[in-house]
Amino acid sequence: MKNGFRQSMAWLHTWTGLLVGWLLLLIFMAGTASYYREEISRWMRPELPRSTVSTDAAAGRAVQFLQASAGQADTWFVTLPQPRNPAMTAFWRNPEALADPSKGRRGRFGNATLDPASGEPLQSRETRGGDFFYRLHFDLHYIPVMWARYLVGFCAMFMLVAIITGVITHKKIFKDFFTFRKDKGLRSWLDFHNVSAVMGLPYHAMITYTGIVTLMIMYLPWGVKVAYPQDEAAFYAEAFGGMSEVTTVAEGRATPMPIAQLLDNARAHWKGQDVAGFSVTHPGAANAVIDIQQRDGRRLSIDTPALRYDMVSGRLLEQTPASGAATATRGVLYGLHLARFADWGLRALFFLSGLAGCLMVASGVVLWAVKERPKHAKRGRIGFGLRLVDALNIGAVAGLPIAFAAYFWGNRLLPLGMAERASAEADVFFYAWGAALFAAFLWPRRLMWAWQLYIGAAAFALVPVVNALTTEAHLGVTLRNGDWALAGVDLSMLAFGAMLALCGRRMQAWQPALSAAEKKKRAAAAAASASGARA
Amino acid sequence: MMMLALGLSFSAFTALSFAMEKHQLELHGRQAASVTRRRLWQLAGWALLTVAFALSVVDHGWAQGPVLWLGAMTVSGMLLTFGLYPYRPRWIVPVAWALPIIGLLAALV
Repeated sequence: MKNGFRQSMAWLHTWTGLLVGWLLLLIFMAGTASYYREEISRWMRPELPRSTVSTDAAAGRAVQFLQASAGQADTWFVTLPQPRNPAMTAFWRNPEALADPSKGRRGRFGNATLDPASGEPLQSRETRGGDFFYRLHFDLHYIPVMWARYLVGFCAMFMLVAIITGVITHKKIFKDFFTFRKDKGLRSWLDFHNVSAVMGLPYHAMITYTGIVTLMIMYLPWGVKVAYPQDEAAFYAEAFGGMSEVTTVAEGRATPMPIAQLLDNARAHWKGQDVAGFSVTHPGAANAVIDIQQRDGRRLSIDTPALRYDMVSGRLLEQTPASGAATATRGVLYGLHLARFADWGLRALFFLSGLAGCLMVASGVVLWAVKERPKHAKRGRIGFGLRLVDALNIGAVAGLPIAFAAYFWGNRLLPLGMAERASAEADVFFYAWGAALFAAFLWPRRLMWAWQLYIGAAAFALVPVVNALTTEAHLGVTLRNGDWALAGVDLSMLAFGAMLALCGRRMQAWQPALSAAEKKKRAAAAAASASGARA
Repeated sequence: MMMLALGLSFSAFTALSFAMEKHQLELHGRQAASVTRRRLWQLAGWALLTVAFALSVVDHGWAQGPVLWLGAMTVSGMLLTFGLYPYRPRWIVPVAWALPIIGLLAALV
């Protein structure tokens, strides 16, 4: 700390930020896309119909379907249609005797996506949809999940350090609150980085901190290990304990109460809050029970209450216990990170704040290179470090958008009947990103920036076109039907295309600022030629 | 009412930026507002932010309202600082009037 507190904080900010910047950008971009996970999943399954039926009617269809196709199952799980996801999913677990041995551990399970209007199972292309981005932002891809989560946690921790040291380093937070000086080289990059960080500071700090909280027991397991040396399950039961486990065996048969009536009881108990889904244990048996899960309402917490009813008599058996202060706090922090509670407007604000985070990270890594360049220019050659950072900057900041757009192309263009189609879609993402990184390493120059930004612009802008050529769920149809979730995906693609094109244009048109000496020389030359003309 | 909260937070940030000498000089040069005038802009800015907070809480409740308020400030601050100040300074005042009015209409309809 020979340079004083603020300088050492600036040093820490620079290097923590730069070290994890590129992976952090991937995490931020995929995480931001995950706010529209359901919408992207819907867009990627254009075959699914958009039917609007009441929750009760849909639940009735689900029970009919499960009675017919999974009457012998131990447990049913049903997720009812939501405004953001009109399809209904059913999932069931068969008893040991009915397991399909060819499927190994998954042999006991079955699942189906159902049309809520008819109750018929729906067929759609094999895709992970928006879940790919969601998983990507903390599980990464191709590497073991545990390693990925430690790596992501490491990045998040560095990010948190970068946020705190950044606030300390920023000398004029309030004075420069609204200050962005354009066309001034390093000054502009610094302003841009500062403003994108300061305007979104509550969001950036929240999302980074809560991100670490979501995996806190994995990152800091020792407290639990000390307090519950024998039995970690006991900790989970005590801390996050929902309702007790149903341990009884199915006995006798009985006709259950109509599902609509059970759901009504739950709604009445919750004073009108709607139902998200339910699970049934021992369906069809005389001692069948149903657990009904509340839909996210005005709370922030991730932990939604549930009620358990006797499915035959309709008697309320149990409800989720009130959680302790620590669990409730974790629930709120977790809930803030996922923002499942957000309605369309709040969701848009979360998404835009996430984009501000992407811009902050991207401008941070670019800023390092802009600051470093004059030193190398003075020495007459670009050193290894700057070349490496330049290549990674181009490959991440301009290359990642290409990869994101490519994933949408893959969803539309890969053959529908292809084996392992879902993972092939993910491969398309990484092939595109790999190509961009490879090109950036070969030739990390300004024109490469412009080209990659233009390719990203074209790739995004053409997604709605590819969509129109390959499906019946394109803008011409979705706009006319007022299906804003699907139209919104296409329209956002156009907006991203336009923004990237603008960035590419600016990158191509950029001229290096003149040095003071050069300016003086040119002014003198101009003056001389002017006086020469006069003479 | 969410649109109104969003519009008001934009107007609030506009007022707060008008309270700063550097932005006055940038917009009006030598005709920059006096110290008293700027003091009034500052009061107006904070008052508008308070109203935006109240509306957010009325609309989204005590849990989600503050989240909405913070998000509205982030987005309107970015629009003002990255969009209007550097590229369309003449639009600042009209937009600061138009957004709350549109928000009010959206809340009434």
